Amino acid sequence: MHKIRAFALRNWKEILRDPLSYIFCLGFPMVMLVIMTLVDRSIPAQVGMTIFHIENLSGGIMVFGLTFVMLFTAITVAKDRSGAFLLRMYASPMTAMDFVLGYLLPMLCIALLQALLIGICSMVVSLLVGNALSISGVLLAVVTAIPSAVFFIGLGLLFGTLCNDKAAPGLCSIVISLGSFLGSIWFDAEATGGVLLKISRCLPFHYCTKSLRAAVQLNLTGEAYWAALGITAACALVMTLLAAAVFRGKMRAEMA
Amino acid sequence: MNAIETKGLTKRFGQKTAVDHIDLTVGEGELFALLGVNGAGKTTTIRMLSGLSAPTEGQCSVCGKDCVAEKAQVKGMIGLSPQDTAVAENLTVLENLHFMAQVHGLKGDSKQQRVQEMIRQFRMEEVLSSRAKTLSGGWKRKLSIAMALISQPRVLFLDEPTLGLDVLARRELWRVIESLKGKVTVLLTTHYMEEAEQLADRIAVMIGGRIAAMGTLTELEQLTGKTGLEECFVTIAEGGMENA
Repeated sequence: MHKIRAFALRNWKEILRDPLSYIFCLGFPMVMLVIMTLVDRSIPAQVGMTIFHIENLSGGIMVFGLTFVMLFTAITVAKDRSGAFLLRMYASPMTAMDFVLGYLLPMLCIALLQALLIGICSMVVSLLVGNALSISGVLLAVVTAIPSAVFFIGLGLLFGTLCNDKAAPGLCSIVISLGSFLGSIWFDAEATGGVLLKISRCLPFHYCTKSLRAAVQLNLTGEAYWAALGITAACALVMTLLAAAVFRGKMRAEMA
Repeated sequence: MNAIETKGLTKRFGQKTAVDHIDLTVGEGELFALLGVNGAGKTTTIRMLSGLSAPTEGQCSVCGKDCVAEKAQVKGMIGLSPQDTAVAENLTVLENLHFMAQVHGLKGDSKQQRVQEMIRQFRMEEVLSSRAKTLSGGWKRKLSIAMALISQPRVLFLDEPTLGLDVLARRELWRVIESLKGKVTVLLTTHYMEEAEQLADRIAVMIGGRIAAMGTLTELEQLTGKTGLEECFVTIAEGGMENA
């Protein structure tokens, strides 16, 4: 546990001391929150488009923010691998599981802090647009974000393990674009239906957004919240185990 | 007991043999240099000795522990300063030292004491609060070696410790490495003749993955009939020992 804590603290500091992490993990999602709220205000009510109403947008922006946590996880792991830092660590008493937890835990803290700050920002915006979000809904969303955060961190760990520090950000950018589109952040897949909804339902991003939206709205019905949360948690577990196995395999291969 | 021992140690990558049946012994407290040009197999040898790479053939042990079968114990007894400066770039010098101490299980007063010892030994007071990424190459190397020593290893592996440093930084690092003599067993790799000549108790000349000659400088001079390590090395590399 001592080794994991030391490595986790190092990763925590590495991320928090990188100004880019604030720009991408906090600044960009919050700017999108404000822009999309302005877009929402510009859409006539008769159109009936509710995706950018703050109670829908808030959960979506939380997922959007998590995609950048994935990006920074991938960059951190890939950078460590490309230099000699991990080589030195491999020669220390740390095990593969120590490394995986050492990357996962600080990123999870950052992800939850990010979700909380987006939640607070959403509450401020909701007060300004006269559609106040409940504090309990926002807090529940932060807790609900845990499996989604683990899923995205696992994905970042996987990309960082498999790709070098130049390829990993590119791959993550594709996932950010696809994830935010097919994750129903910028459009309502349920309302659109058709092939797009079928594709969305095949991917975990959709359920991440769905569970967080339901949490913000305190809509704790089985299908809207629990089923989506269950699927997200299952995906998070599979992704984490896969990333851990790949990291361990890669570590062994590099030490063969 | 020897600090390092290898018997027929071999590493192949596909068809290429990087290290070819090397036998060497390094005594406790000895400063031993593996001298060779790039691609001679020096780093691969260090990787096998530090448990980072499994030998294809042969055996290697550190302080009596097998580097493959008892890898965990070996890792607990060694310190490694890789060829590239392996430091946490966004952490300060002090944080890097604390980090490595914690990774090696040091806690509380013993951790503080060890960190302070490293700061004193490497004269790092002036850069303690500087982030590693802002340090000069020389300071980074010193930090890298201090991080490798923080766990009080019995054997220290220094892979090309002065590569790319200017002459002043190199001399400063030599002073640091010389101060370790007798306290810890050091195996360093280098392709700088003057470095091996200046620092090492014994030198092994590696050519094409094999140890072509091994001994003190005097022994190598006797073996080749030349004076100075550079002349000895050239003679050995050109296979001129038989004619010496």
